[in-house]
Amino acid sequence: MRRAQPPAFACWFLDSVVPVPYREALLGDLIEEYSLRADSASPIAARWFWSQTCRSVASILWSSLCSGDWVVSMSIAIGVYIGMAMFKLIADLTISKVLAPGQATYLILAPVVFLLTSAVGGCVASRIRRGATLFLALIVMITVAALIGIKVCATPVPWWYQFGFLCLGPLAVLIAPAIVGAVASGDALQPGE
Amino acid sequence: MKRGELLGSLEHIILLALARLEGSAHGMIVRREIEERTGRNISIGAVYATLERLERKGYVSSFTGEPTPERGGRAKRLFRVEASGARALQVSEKTIRSMTADSNIRWGNI
Repeated sequence: MRRAQPPAFACWFLDSVVPVPYREALLGDLIEEYSLRADSASPIAARWFWSQTCRSVASILWSSLCSGDWVVSMSIAIGVYIGMAMFKLIADLTISKVLAPGQATYLILAPVVFLLTSAVGGCVASRIRRGATLFLALIVMITVAALIGIKVCATPVPWWYQFGFLCLGPLAVLIAPAIVGAVASGDALQPGE
Repeated sequence: MKRGELLGSLEHIILLALARLEGSAHGMIVRREIEERTGRNISIGAVYATLERLERKGYVSSFTGEPTPERGGRAKRLFRVEASGARALQVSEKTIRSMTADSNIRWGNI
């Protein structure tokens, strides 16, 4: 008989956020208890799994914050962000001066470069330390919000264009490592197998 | 009594749960033991964060078990109480007992 699968997104979320010392044991424990609960009522078990996921992440992040572990993750995130910012600056200059001097082409290429940079940055941060991706996503979100706030883009653009930067940038940072991991291992999103 | 030997409430409960379970236990068993005995539905993350802190203090030790299919191929991390942990439990219990013994606290008035 096929075992009940816990919510894949919750597993991925825990896998991305929980620091190395707890990760494997914690996720294994949750999957084990979920499989015991899922025999009776799967929707209730899924709700229980999500509740445990959210509360566990909050507990662990708070514990990391108190013990000072976050300093290392934050430093890595800042380091990666500086690298991303430099790459983005060079790419923007290349696009605007060499590839596409026209404003319209730049407006199309800029988000593509931004999302690619965010995705690569997320993968690099995750490779160094998983917990750093969350801080990197936060830094990207704050920076984009600040840039929108000070109206750094001289060309008038629709609200959804800026909103896209604000949401998709942090999402690319968080999701790209999971996609790369799933492609590399073939089973990253199927923890029960 | 050293200052570091005083346990927090969750540390105290988790150490007691581990001591009750005898031998070694992993996070899920500790969590279920606490839930069954106290009715507190604590998160597995809180259990691990506390166990990690207790391990740093030298009160518990851990070792990795074998990965099993029902855990999605993930290994267990088994914890057991060390002698210093048992001592800390005794000190903590003694402290609570000495604070409550011969007290004429009227709980209804607090």
